[in-house]
Amino acid sequence: MLPAAGEPAAGDSWGMLACLCTVLWHLPAVPALNRTGDPGPGPSIQKTYDLTRYLEHQLRSLAGTYLNYLGPPFNEPDFNPPRLGAETLPRATVNLDVWRSLNDKLRLTQNYEAYSHLLCYLRGLNRQAATAELRRSLAHFCTSLQGLLGSIAGVMAALGYPLPQPLPGTEPTWAPGPAHSDFLQKMDDFWLLKELQTWLWRSAKDFNRLKKKMQTPAAAVTLHLEAHGF
Amino acid sequence: MALFAVFQTSFLLALLSLRAYQSEVLVEPLPLTPESLNVSIDSAHQYLNLQWSVHSLAYYQELKMLFQIQISRMKTSNVIWVGNYSTVVKRDPVLHWSWKSELPLECATHFVRMRSRVDDAKIPEPRFWSNWSSWKEADAQKSLGRDPLFLFPKDKLVEEGSNVTICYMSRNQQDNISCYLEGQQIHGEQLDSNVSAFKLNKVSFIRKTGTNIFCKVDQKDVIKGIVLFVSKVLEEPKDFSCETQDFKTLTCTWDPGTDTSLPKRSSQSYTLFESFSGKKILCEHKNSCNWQVDSDSQEMYNFTLVAENALGNRSVSVLFSLTHRVHPKTPYNLFLKNVSGTKATVTWKVHPIGNYSTLLCQLDLLGEGNVIQQHNVSIKENGEYLLSELEPDTEYMARVRCADANHFWKWSGSISQKFITAEAAPSEALDVWRNVKSVSGRPTVTLFWKPLSKLHANGKILSYNVTVENLDRLSGLEVHSVPATANGTELTLDQDSYQIHVTALNSAGPSPASVIVVSGDPGNEEVEEERVNGTEDGFSVSWKPQSGKAIGYVVEWCDHPQDLPCDLQWKNLSSNTTSTVISSGAFRPGVRYNFRIYEISTERMAYLLEKKAGYLKELAPSDNPQVVVSNLTSHSFTLSWKDYSTDSQPGFIQGYYVYLRSKAEKECHPGFKKATLPDKSACCQHRIDNPEQKTFVMENLQPESVYEFLVTPYTSAGSGPLDAFTKVTTPDEYSHILIRIILPMIVCVLLIMITCYLKSQWMKEKCYPDIPDPYKSNVLSLIKSKENPHLTIMNVSDCVPDAIEVIHKPEGSKIQFLGASKSLTETEFTKPAYLYLLPAEKNYSGPGPCICFENLTYNEAAADSGSCGHFPVTPEALPGQPGPLTSPENLLKALEKNYMNSLGETAAGEASLNYVSQLASQMSGDKDSLPANPPEPVLCSEYKMQMAIPLGLASPPPAENSGLSSTTPLDQSEHYR
Repeated sequence: MLPAAGEPAAGDSWGMLACLCTVLWHLPAVPALNRTGDPGPGPSIQKTYDLTRYLEHQLRSLAGTYLNYLGPPFNEPDFNPPRLGAETLPRATVNLDVWRSLNDKLRLTQNYEAYSHLLCYLRGLNRQAATAELRRSLAHFCTSLQGLLGSIAGVMAALGYPLPQPLPGTEPTWAPGPAHSDFLQKMDDFWLLKELQTWLWRSAKDFNRLKKKMQTPAAAVTLHLEAHGF
Repeated sequence: MALFAVFQTSFLLALLSLRAYQSEVLVEPLPLTPESLNVSIDSAHQYLNLQWSVHSLAYYQELKMLFQIQISRMKTSNVIWVGNYSTVVKRDPVLHWSWKSELPLECATHFVRMRSRVDDAKIPEPRFWSNWSSWKEADAQKSLGRDPLFLFPKDKLVEEGSNVTICYMSRNQQDNISCYLEGQQIHGEQLDSNVSAFKLNKVSFIRKTGTNIFCKVDQKDVIKGIVLFVSKVLEEPKDFSCETQDFKTLTCTWDPGTDTSLPKRSSQSYTLFESFSGKKILCEHKNSCNWQVDSDSQEMYNFTLVAENALGNRSVSVLFSLTHRVHPKTPYNLFLKNVSGTKATVTWKVHPIGNYSTLLCQLDLLGEGNVIQQHNVSIKENGEYLLSELEPDTEYMARVRCADANHFWKWSGSISQKFITAEAAPSEALDVWRNVKSVSGRPTVTLFWKPLSKLHANGKILSYNVTVENLDRLSGLEVHSVPATANGTELTLDQDSYQIHVTALNSAGPSPASVIVVSGDPGNEEVEEERVNGTEDGFSVSWKPQSGKAIGYVVEWCDHPQDLPCDLQWKNLSSNTTSTVISSGAFRPGVRYNFRIYEISTERMAYLLEKKAGYLKELAPSDNPQVVVSNLTSHSFTLSWKDYSTDSQPGFIQGYYVYLRSKAEKECHPGFKKATLPDKSACCQHRIDNPEQKTFVMENLQPESVYEFLVTPYTSAGSGPLDAFTKVTTPDEYSHILIRIILPMIVCVLLIMITCYLKSQWMKEKCYPDIPDPYKSNVLSLIKSKENPHLTIMNVSDCVPDAIEVIHKPEGSKIQFLGASKSLTETEFTKPAYLYLLPAEKNYSGPGPCICFENLTYNEAAADSGSCGHFPVTPEALPGQPGPLTSPENLLKALEKNYMNSLGETAAGEASLNYVSQLASQMSGDKDSLPANPPEPVLCSEYKMQMAIPLGLASPPPAENSGLSSTTPLDQSEHYR
């Protein structure tokens, strides 16, 4: 039987229980503690890297199908339209120096945020798809992308980084405005797939870099304790 | 002149004033110039919407008027369209009219003006046009932004096959713009320095996501595109009909045809409108709609189905009476009851339709998928029908469907139920036949019967009953029960006549009995066999009735005569039949089928009438007979193939061809004719027309010649294979004489040689003994008879030898044991000495290697035991170093004993023998090369057979007691003395 929250004695015990729970909740986020019998974030980074490569492969076939569905010129290999209505899409392209200077946390956060947005847009794409076959392929890819997002979150947690919190009201939507013509919509779809592909390339590089970084300083383990709630 | 001018002026003024007055009178009430003309643009539908008013219809409530409208593009002088619009104008009206532009209105400024005219019968003619209104401008470009390029119309939806005009407008005249339709560049008509238009004729549906058209400014990152959605043509609904199942709901169905829906565009919809009631419903489905019947009052319905999409609509109507559109529900609760062998009652229920409706139900009885019976039954709610004329133990299916009895519209769905009728006793007697044969002198009857067909079995046959009744003697009935799986049984009877009844039993009872009478006497089997020709249909068999009292005939044959059992078949025929065609799927060409025709007497006994044999199709023989050549002489030989069976051939053997070929003879013998073989070689052929002639004598042949012959049978289909010729070489003319003389001579010589060989020992002894036996000497008898009767032959023991000569016999490697035909190869015998005498006592040192003493001369009878004595010798006393080993006394004793034994006078005291087993010496492995220092102690060298040796010989005599001999070892190469 649980004690009532208002009772003073019970309140103390509740507080202790909450404290204990919080400590237990954050234990996996303490890399130093995880090292006992735990290979560390290395395997999960490797898995995430593998997943990006797999998704890259999967996207290649999906994009082919979807761009054919949109019709020419979107399925033409040299079609490179200006990025008109796709400003809201997270950009994967970044200056090389800037990319090199990113720290692990920022690197992972950017990845996480990008895929969160892209996944949301992709689900919108799925809702509009006219053929059942295409909807199935998109739904499958969304599931895989969700897995990648979870995998990145896992790496971030293993390294003790907090997940970025979406700001209220900034949820990306895929509802085109009244002035958004069908052609522009197709351009957005085209850019969504293109950005997704660029992001997967970038992520592969990001995680490869991270993987190498994690392998070298095996001896130098820093205790990185994030204690939210304390 | 001035006056005239003044007059003229005043006249003109008066006329003008009059004209002005008249016009005022006529026109004044109808100032019909359109006023307040307003033009607006509907970009989505490319409409120019005109709105204007006409004032001062003072004297008329309404007036029919005609408006003429002019539309110009780009500039007012460029009139692109002129048209009239007629309408009835009421008091203070505001009029509307729209014009649809092919060119998107955004691409060009349009100008509109109009004028009007009364077009009403109330106003007398002449009627005049009003003045034109001022031009009104419709300019959509003003509302556009500052983009460098525009493409119109935006995301237009058109029906497949329609014409579409697309235009682009650029802000900068210097820009070079290229446009593409589905990736292909298109070229249009330039309307202005900034505006170009493309006319697409009869656009076709490409994909649901639309046809992409885009334009881009070269060298700039500017791209504008539109999607032209082309919808399939909306079709008129097909097969539109309505029906009711219960007078409560009308269900209308139709085939919607092609789906015209596009993504993000509303799909086609269907509306059902009933004109009598004025009701209208929007259908939920694309191919059906349910209409609630309110009451019984409305009998007639006139439905209009309207298919509609964004581009248009299509409709179809149907008029009907509700009672003529009744489609009953599927009947239910179909049961079979009181199912007997031949009858069954079917019951079912139907859903009632209204109060007075009667249903017509169709009851089908199906057997093996086919409708056997069909009955129509009129019912209200419950149906029942008695099915009869059913077959026992048969699976049927009852199927019921119903329709409105008064106005047939459609059958309801069907309900069906399977059932099996009960069993009944088999309806037919078995078809029984018999085969009588004698086994161990007793007639054995094998009964065969054909299983009853399903039609006659009337159930599952459980067993067969065979009742045997003796017709000659009074005895009890013998009943045999045969399991259902058997199609026959075997009975062993005696010479009496028996009547046999065979019945088949199922759960309902026995079949009628099939009666057959058999007798131990097989009757006349000696019937000559005739031939019968086979055709594609089978064998046409006919016979001649004999007794005239036959109650029927039976033709019997085997389907597989070459197999065992041969699958006996028979066919029953009525008494008035004398021919039939026997056909069977098992008949094969080249197989001989034997048919036996029996007459069935009134006593139901079968008598053999005729025998027939035939082939469905005769084939050429596949094998040639095995021919035996005999009586081979220099001029002839005989061929015979008596083992060849003519009955088991693939056709009737009509005779044989005998082929003969020889390199020596080019001409054929009399009786032969020339023939050419398949390999183009020539030979001689003789034809034997009698198939039973199975010998042939080849005559007039050349001696010492090679002949090749071949005997092949022939049938009506041809002869056997002409491949394997057999070679025969005729012998020399005198060879037989030589054989007659030389052969006996050789036999005689051989006999003599064998005799000599077998009696060689005897011969040797008689003719040329190695050492003559003094006792057997003829001289002895001569001496005995003539001279001293006490004279005996000197014995060896009588002499005291002072030396023994050992003869060196190097060639004696092979010793022939006396009395034994086999020879032993002994390595020891190859050594030069046989006997070593014991030397002086100085060298003896106990037991040593023993020595084999072989006296070939005196040991005649000791062949079985041998005469090897064991003598201890010193290690030095080896064959390589011979020397005296034993005393001459012992040796002589031994010799004497051996001799006595050989005469069969072995003393009783000497019965105790030492058996020396046959041992392998250590040196036996290297017999030819003896070592210089042999290992000690040395055992007996080698014994090839188990020998009995007297005890006295086995023990070595003490050397010191024997001072009889003393010899000096000599050189090996010398003789010992």
